Amino acid sequence: MAFRASEAGHRKGDWRWWAALIALLSAVTFAGLFTSEPYRTSTDVLMPPSTQHWLGTNAVGQDVWTGLLLAAPNTVVIAFTSAFLALAIAVFFAMASAVGVPLVRAGILRTVDMFQTIPAILFLLLVAAWVQPGMLGIVLIIGLSAWQDDVRVIRAAVLRESTRENVQYVRHQGGSWLYCAIHHLIPAVWPLLVSLYLQATRHAVMKTAGLAFLGLTDPRLLTWGGMMQGAMDHLYGDAWRWLLVPPAVCLAMFLYLVLSLGKIAERQSMARSSVGP
Amino acid sequence: MSFGLLTAVPKAGGHAQIPELLRGFATRLAVFLLLLALTFALPRLLPGDPVELLHSSDLMRELTAAEEQQLYRSMGLEGSWLDQFAGYMAAVLQGNLGYSIQHGAAVSQLLAHALPWTGLLILGAMPIALLIGVTAGIEAGRCPHGPFDLIATGLMTCLSSVPPFAWAILLVLVFGVMWPILPPAGAQSVMPPHGAVQRAIDIAWHAVLPMLSLALHEVARFYFLCRGEAVGLSSRPFIVNARARGLGGLRERIHYYGRNLLPAVLARLSDSVTGLVGTVVFVEIVFSYPGLGGLIYDAIGDRDYVLLQGAVLWLAAFVLLMNWLLDAVVSVLARRG
Repeated sequence: MAFRASEAGHRKGDWRWWAALIALLSAVTFAGLFTSEPYRTSTDVLMPPSTQHWLGTNAVGQDVWTGLLLAAPNTVVIAFTSAFLALAIAVFFAMASAVGVPLVRAGILRTVDMFQTIPAILFLLLVAAWVQPGMLGIVLIIGLSAWQDDVRVIRAAVLRESTRENVQYVRHQGGSWLYCAIHHLIPAVWPLLVSLYLQATRHAVMKTAGLAFLGLTDPRLLTWGGMMQGAMDHLYGDAWRWLLVPPAVCLAMFLYLVLSLGKIAERQSMARSSVGP
Repeated sequence: MSFGLLTAVPKAGGHAQIPELLRGFATRLAVFLLLLALTFALPRLLPGDPVELLHSSDLMRELTAAEEQQLYRSMGLEGSWLDQFAGYMAAVLQGNLGYSIQHGAAVSQLLAHALPWTGLLILGAMPIALLIGVTAGIEAGRCPHGPFDLIATGLMTCLSSVPPFAWAILLVLVFGVMWPILPPAGAQSVMPPHGAVQRAIDIAWHAVLPMLSLALHEVARFYFLCRGEAVGLSSRPFIVNARARGLGGLRERIHYYGRNLLPAVLARLSDSVTGLVGTVVFVEIVFSYPGLGGLIYDAIGDRDYVLLQGAVLWLAAFVLLMNWLLDAVVSVLARRG
């Protein structure tokens, strides 16, 4: 996927985003290596930023900078994985509703309608409150509650592509729909999938942060949203400056980065469709 | 589902939208039943049960076997799953959602006190979001890539790339703590003033920040929608012609753009309710607002699952009813043309 999107990265002016993304991802990947200090509690509670603690300490004396680094991979991995899961489900349902018998089609579309009328956060609240999910749990529940908005979009694109000669030819030659999907339909709608994937990633980041903010995730799982929740008790003192601002800025930067990548992918798919046959 | 019955309704003429509305209602009913089934199944599927959970909390003293049996019965955990489900459905349909031990009150009573506050925030935030979003969208779409468009689109991009609760916190910090001109928490003063008018002013004053942060999230939705549509309109002959005749100002914005944007905006209104309900939970928590979201947060903290389920069910019923009503209004308006 990254290779496809990077074709757009060669366009003038877009390289900046790729530099930023690579910087961020490598920072995330190596965060664990660079933090020699463990994230442990100490008696230095609510210390303002100093040379010893770059971003100060929280209410139980943990170093905020170390926390930010340790939370980064969790936040990023959850976002990208759960978005992948959501999109995979959406693609499956879109394909099934595009080529399936009328009963299957009606069933899927009606289910989509059902899920779209209600905020996903209500499902998330119920399930998360009982399960207190860790990393895998969050990926699962966010992935399972975020597919419904993409089904119709992908279905429309698949329907358009399935009327083309190549697909018709394969079908006449006896190729199965599965073969068509893998070799013809998915490659044809790939640019759309890339931009939907990035959009789903953005929503997943917000949902994860939201769940952590509500205190619904496993308390041992460190995320930026969870760090922001911890800072809520310190709004009326000075401590929010180093407890709230750093994770909020990290979250906003990551979201903005994904949004910008999405725009690049969109521009690329528009350029393609205007050049293509 | 009763689709056979629905198709029997004549589709001709003005009745065309009735089957559509009924189908919408059936869909929403199905969603609600699904949620009901989920609230029933979750506690029973997962290890442990509410009684054991109470034992592990500090709310419970040692119980005799008979007392424990009594507790199981009162929580509807006796008998086979089927019996339990029938009992649960009957209770919910009668409006009995159980008893919150932590709050010492019936769940439905707690919720009845909280729902008006949540409703106030949502109904207040929607016009704000509409007004700002649509006005800015038209202004930006009138001159695509003009200075206003560049600034507004950048701003809206920032707005939509920060989670809603982060905006709420920012507003509390700026207008409640650093520059305290508005009350940062609660729905009314600790000692509410006497007199209906003063009290209404007090409540409105406390609702400003929560409504604003709730609206901010939806502003971006309407902005991008209206901007997109307005960009398309800007190249249409009737607008090019009107501008060539020197039309401008409010008349151009309201009668030429606004009227043509109406269907698109109306069609999105029911989506917007869904979005607002999703956000209101966070906003109420940040502002310690006494609505359903605040109750949900307390319930999570206290592990008060009876209250949590009740609150989620009420919120779901609220959103389903609201977006169905909006759909109905929109389809009636669409019929009028």
